[in-house]
Amino acid sequence: MAMSGGVDSSVAAALLVEQGHDVVGVTMKTFCYSETPDHSKTCCGLDGISDAKRVTAALGIPHYVFDVEEAFDRDVIDDFVTQYAEGRTPNPCVRCNGYTKFRDLLSRGRSLGCDLIASGHYVQIEHTHSQSRILRGQDKQKDQSYFLWALPDEMLKSLLFPIGSLTKEQVREHAHTQGLVNANKPESQEICFVPTGNYRDLLRERLGKVHPALQPGYLVRRSGEIVGEHNGYAGFTIGQRKGLGGGSSEPMFVLSINPDTKEVIVGTRAELFDDIVIISGLNWLGGPIEDGATALVQLRYRAPAVPALVSREEDQVILKLQEAQPAVTPGQSAVLFDQENRCLIGGGTIASAHSSD
Amino acid sequence: MKAVYLDHAATTPIRNEVREAMEPYLSESFGNPSSLHRWGREASAALENARATVAETLSVSPQEIYFTRGGTESDNLAVLGCCRFMKAHKKQLTLVVSAIEHSAVLDPAKLVREWQGVELVTLPVSQDGVLDQELLKLALESGPTVVSLLWVNNETGLVFPIAEISGLVNELGGTMHTDAVQAVGKIPVHVKETSIHLLTASGHKIYGPKGTGILFVRSGVDLVPLIHGGGQEQALRPGTEDVAGAVGFACSLQLAIEEQQQSCKKLTELRSVLERRLLELIPGLSINLQDAERASHISSIAIDDVDREDLLAALDLEGIAASGGSACESGSTQTSHVITALYGEEHSAATVRFSLGIETTEQDIEQTILKFTSIVTRLRKLGVAS
Repeated sequence: MAMSGGVDSSVAAALLVEQGHDVVGVTMKTFCYSETPDHSKTCCGLDGISDAKRVTAALGIPHYVFDVEEAFDRDVIDDFVTQYAEGRTPNPCVRCNGYTKFRDLLSRGRSLGCDLIASGHYVQIEHTHSQSRILRGQDKQKDQSYFLWALPDEMLKSLLFPIGSLTKEQVREHAHTQGLVNANKPESQEICFVPTGNYRDLLRERLGKVHPALQPGYLVRRSGEIVGEHNGYAGFTIGQRKGLGGGSSEPMFVLSINPDTKEVIVGTRAELFDDIVIISGLNWLGGPIEDGATALVQLRYRAPAVPALVSREEDQVILKLQEAQPAVTPGQSAVLFDQENRCLIGGGTIASAHSSD
Repeated sequence: MKAVYLDHAATTPIRNEVREAMEPYLSESFGNPSSLHRWGREASAALENARATVAETLSVSPQEIYFTRGGTESDNLAVLGCCRFMKAHKKQLTLVVSAIEHSAVLDPAKLVREWQGVELVTLPVSQDGVLDQELLKLALESGPTVVSLLWVNNETGLVFPIAEISGLVNELGGTMHTDAVQAVGKIPVHVKETSIHLLTASGHKIYGPKGTGILFVRSGVDLVPLIHGGGQEQALRPGTEDVAGAVGFACSLQLAIEEQQQSCKKLTELRSVLERRLLELIPGLSINLQDAERASHISSIAIDDVDREDLLAALDLEGIAASGGSACESGSTQTSHVITALYGEEHSAATVRFSLGIETTEQDIEQTILKFTSIVTRLRKLGVAS
């Protein structure tokens, strides 16, 4: 059972114990907390580890902390920094789930003689004789299937998500009934390795102040007209409105980022919509769907899933959205669901997007 | 299945005699030793009796015993307190430690190194456990020198020839501190027959209470206190004394030293069974510093092709408590500085430390051998499979 010290994984562990499983709690120590003086943030920090220890002790199950700092640094933090340097907006949680967390959990679990790996994600898993499928969480507000598309398909059969059928409210209630020490712990929102919430500090530290991504550049319209200046394109994400200055007759949004020229391209809300999305690194869960079939695609964590035609071209996948969507952001995940919007069928990273008009 | 605790170098339970000795001072005799009334006198008498017991046990004078709140504090007080005093009187100072000291000495030493006019000399230790005494001599001849060396290394059990070294240090005008936390009750510790100036001991490693310890300070050796705020412990360690703790410490020390020979004999036998059997049963396994002089309670095992964290967790799931090295460094998985200092950066074998105690039985050892062997076999099979 992966334990962050948060209320979700704690309740998940409690449920597994109630169900009679032999549970071993595991916390992955992902980065060096001693270098971040502010560990008042909720998850994965040292207080996360000590909360996990308190909860597991109360549940009467063993708990181990495994250090994955090196791999996490290489596979998640470095990637995060590189993506920003290249003008994209990364999804570090997707990366962590796909490359670090679950793989490590599985191999540690095997070493400890465990049959199944559990985590406190708000998703459901359906195991049938022939196949295992990840379904959206019961709590639509909390559903985290978006973050799990990069899991290796063959891993699904070993997974359990004990709180996927509960709402956050029910989870909190359960935590209170059980008297778990972290029942009232606030939600963690920030990226775990950027506890201050300011990822630019991390970029400065890793890339150096003189990196082009952190150097001043121009804000330009698609026409090429310069409308202002910015102090580093890494501070921008597609669809962003803040930090573009005023002065124009209608609100301006970031449309795209050109790292070669250090330009941040801005435009009106109407210009923000794209209907063709190119995806790379596609991972199918339960096998690829037919070329030209329709699926529902979710283009960011909080966005609704929208219908799209899925076609393959060499190692990329092209999505033709039925309706153009705003702020399709390179680096974010495009996550595919079945037509009932229930079952996770795959996903990839948005490479680029444009409008077919 | 009985759980087997083989992590006595991390900590030990309070033994009954110690608990009983402490109990009156937790409740009815709760006075503050500094108070003049009856309660105070009672507490003060208990504290001074405890001090006398400790002094007698170590064959030193009661005025030379300072109660502290544990081994780490005593080490800090010895290293920082001594260096600070010397620096107030001398321009230059050399601090000598070994590469395999406990972090309670290494970390203060790093602080001292930052002071102006201080040189820190770290003595290497060979793969056979031999300390470079030539380098020590050179340092001592260079001017005022403070030396801090473990008597028994906490990760491997290695014994440094502290009696001999303290003679050399004293002869050449240096000040000698030894951390004897893993030595008392394990090997003969005759402070009187050595030239040690400062000695650290801790209660919870010898079936006494946690948060208790002493620093022995030979008469004539001056230290600057680390904390300030009262006259207790001759103002070297101010703060209201932990009377029950001091009583418990004294009792545990007395028993540990009384029983040292007998327990050493027993632990040596048990450990040799453990080590011999594991060497026979598991290929790719060796005993760190096997041929060096080692305290009888620690066995440091190097094992190839197994992840240390997996191994320790799997042992725990089977009810066997061991550790990866120093309990004080757990939470981090870097190879311990002790193992790296002995065998180099490339040393990739996992290290597991078993440490035995007076309640360890033959059955415990048998069970450990059995479980350890089957876990290693299973993990290696998994490793090959992936």
